[in-house]
Amino acid sequence: MNSATVLQQLLQGSPSERAAAAEYLAQQGTEAAYAACELTAACGDTETVSDWAVAALEQLGAPPSSAIESLVSMTQSANPRTVYWAVTLLGRSGPDAAVHQQVLVTLLQHSEDLAVQEKAAWSLGRMRANSLEATQALQQAAQSTEKRLSRVATRSLQPTQT
Amino acid sequence: MARKKSKFSLLMWLIISGISGGGITGYLKPNIPVIGPLIAKFTDKGQNLTAGSGNLLTESADGLLNNQSSGDYGGSVVAGRLASARQASNRQQQGTVQPTTVAGNQGNANLLIASFNIQVLGQSKISKPGMKELLAHVIRQFDLVAIQEVRAKGDNVIPDLVTTVNSNGSRYNFVIGPRLGRSNSKEQYTYVFNTNTVEHDPSSVGTVNDPKDLLHREPFVTRFRARTQSPAQAFTFWMVNIHTDPDEVPEEVDALADVFQVMQKARADEDDVILLGDLNASEKQLGRLGKLPGMQWTVSGVTTNTRKTKAYDNILFQGQATREYTGRWGVYDLERNLGLSREQALQVSDHLPVWAEFRVWEAPPPTSPVGRPSLYN
Repeated sequence: MNSATVLQQLLQGSPSERAAAAEYLAQQGTEAAYAACELTAACGDTETVSDWAVAALEQLGAPPSSAIESLVSMTQSANPRTVYWAVTLLGRSGPDAAVHQQVLVTLLQHSEDLAVQEKAAWSLGRMRANSLEATQALQQAAQSTEKRLSRVATRSLQPTQT
Repeated sequence: MARKKSKFSLLMWLIISGISGGGITGYLKPNIPVIGPLIAKFTDKGQNLTAGSGNLLTESADGLLNNQSSGDYGGSVVAGRLASARQASNRQQQGTVQPTTVAGNQGNANLLIASFNIQVLGQSKISKPGMKELLAHVIRQFDLVAIQEVRAKGDNVIPDLVTTVNSNGSRYNFVIGPRLGRSNSKEQYTYVFNTNTVEHDPSSVGTVNDPKDLLHREPFVTRFRARTQSPAQAFTFWMVNIHTDPDEVPEEVDALADVFQVMQKARADEDDVILLGDLNASEKQLGRLGKLPGMQWTVSGVTTNTRKTKAYDNILFQGQATREYTGRWGVYDLERNLGLSREQALQVSDHLPVWAEFRVWEAPPPTSPVGRPSLYN
């Protein structure tokens, strides 16, 4: 299956075709990185499609830099799983996505989903976010009573302070 | 998205632990640092099926098993298993293959213990033609399989799979952990084991307590014992099943060092701890876990993913304590052993099973000639 066919099936296929496309991508490891955006969007699909999309996202590593803008827009999705994975992939992009750190600062401060807040803190660290807003948000999160959020934020502050 | 450790889950845990801790099942023991999940205990649903039904493997292969011979696994489970082990070990493992001798009533002096990440093991996977039969065949190669990535909303996936495992007359059972994960994408761990050769201690089953939330999916632990004619001398051991978060591998393998040490002290009568699973790390990336005194890992110098590009899975233990390890280990190559193409093998999983062999008799502690007492008696 070539990449264009896979993406077309994932985006426009029947439910079974979308599931098959997501499953195929989950078998490709890092070679599925080209489909990072489509897989992130597919997290809001049916349970079967979503499960395979998540499996693919876990293993595809960093997305291509061309995907960053689309991933930023997906952080505003109504689907929490899509937001979670968009934030994760932005973090995996590292400093290449640092220009978008304010989006993650907003999620860190205002998301009602603890898992998203934790991932936003993690991603800011991976980006080496060093804006004043990012530093302040991480410092505030480091004081959180949520142990994991506090720990991740503390860790993310370390590169920004060096 | 639900918060990971919701008040509801906490309430359920308190209720469950309150009931079981009260002596109804003896499920929790106060000195065990684990949280008790609900354990679905399979009750040998498949055991009444005839051995002849083992041919399901070939009847419904549908492209997954096109080169599989039509052998009947029902009558030769042990022999077939060891033959496969030899194939794998001849290719990849370091030790030599020894002939087996009879112990107990099993015809096998050793236990084959495996770890297998069966990617997205859910209803859609086991509904594929021939898939359950293929997975059952793989499971039957081993006495005890630690499985990662059960992802199913319903509770029938593992019971259905074990029914298929037993469809040839085998007597496998399972224990399964709770759904775990920080996002709303949850996974379960399970152990599937041959009750002819190994048994679990129902009072020593649970999920490791992780109050600092260091691990995305806290390890699922269960204590097992080899079945022999002399239970007091049989090999007993903790199994610690883990699937790390690929985004936080260094932190999680370090945390697993603490888990390992906690489990070593969980019971005064048990020093054998076998930590196994999808670590998302090679033997060179084990961090503090790999630096624990005497820590030994079986998988080394090979890849464990189906695409044969990465080493993710391993089986670890403290070498001086777990002297029951025979030195035999391997990676079960789905393509080679089942005659599958790469594409077909990837439909089974993106990981290959890894395995190691242990003697069924407890080795005495190195500093004492007296064997450990057993709480089974």
